[in-house]
Amino acid sequence: MADPPPYPGAPRWVKVSGIIAIILVLLVMTAIFTGVGGAHGPGRHMPSSSVTEPGVQQP
Amino acid sequence: MIMTRGLRKFTLTVHVASSVGTLGAVAGFLALAVAGLASEDSQMVRAAYPAMELTARSVVLPLVLASLLTGIVQSLGTPWGLFRHYWVLTKLLLNVLVTIVLLLQMELIGYLADVSAETMLSSADLRGLRMSPVIHAAGGLLVLLVPVVLSLYKPRGLTPHGWRKQHEGSMGPHP
Repeated sequence: MADPPPYPGAPRWVKVSGIIAIILVLLVMTAIFTGVGGAHGPGRHMPSSSVTEPGVQQP
Repeated sequence: MIMTRGLRKFTLTVHVASSVGTLGAVAGFLALAVAGLASEDSQMVRAAYPAMELTARSVVLPLVLASLLTGIVQSLGTPWGLFRHYWVLTKLLLNVLVTIVLLLQMELIGYLADVSAETMLSSADLRGLRMSPVIHAAGGLLVLLVPVVLSLYKPRGLTPHGWRKQHEGSMGPHP
C-alpha cells in the first residue's frame, strides 16, 4: 500500500487567525495582570463602602 | 457513528437556532448592561441587574450549552467530524471559551443583582465591576459572530488528523 502524501500544512486563514488569537490572548493577559482590566479572581466582589442604602438621599 | 438524515436535520436545526439565539440574547444582555452602567434613571439601574441575571441564567446559559452540545453531536454524527476540519475545531474552541467566560461571569452578575436589589447604586458605585459585563458581553458578541461566519463559509483546511482520516478512505464531504 502506498504511503499517504505528506500533510501540506495548515491553510493561511488558520495561521493568520492563530496569530490574531495569540495577540488577543496576550493583550487580555496583560490587561488582567497589570490591573487595567479591573480586579479578576477571588475577592473581586468585595463589598464597596460607597454603596448607599435605598432611600438614603445622595449628597 | 453517522446519524440518519432526519436526526441530522433536527440537531442542525437546534444547533442553528441556539447559536443564533445566543447572539440575540447576548445583544439584549449587553443593552441591559449598558443601561445599568450609564443610565441616569436610578430605577432603570436598579431594574437592569436583576434582569441581566435572569437573562443570563434563563436564556444565555441554556442557549450556549445547547449550542455547544448540539454542535458536538452534529459534528460527531456526520462525516465532518469534530477534529478533522479547522473550521469545526475553531467553532468548538470558541464555543468552549464562551461557555467558560460566561460561567465565570455568572457569579459577578448574581452579585450585582443582589447589590442593586438591596441598595441604590449611584453612577460611581462598583463602576469597575459594572463595566465588566459590558466589556464581556461586547467581546462575547464579536466572538460569537465568528462561528456564524465559519458555519456559512466553511473555509477549507484539514487538520493533520483529518488528513490522515481522509487518506485512510474514511473521509466524508470535502468542502
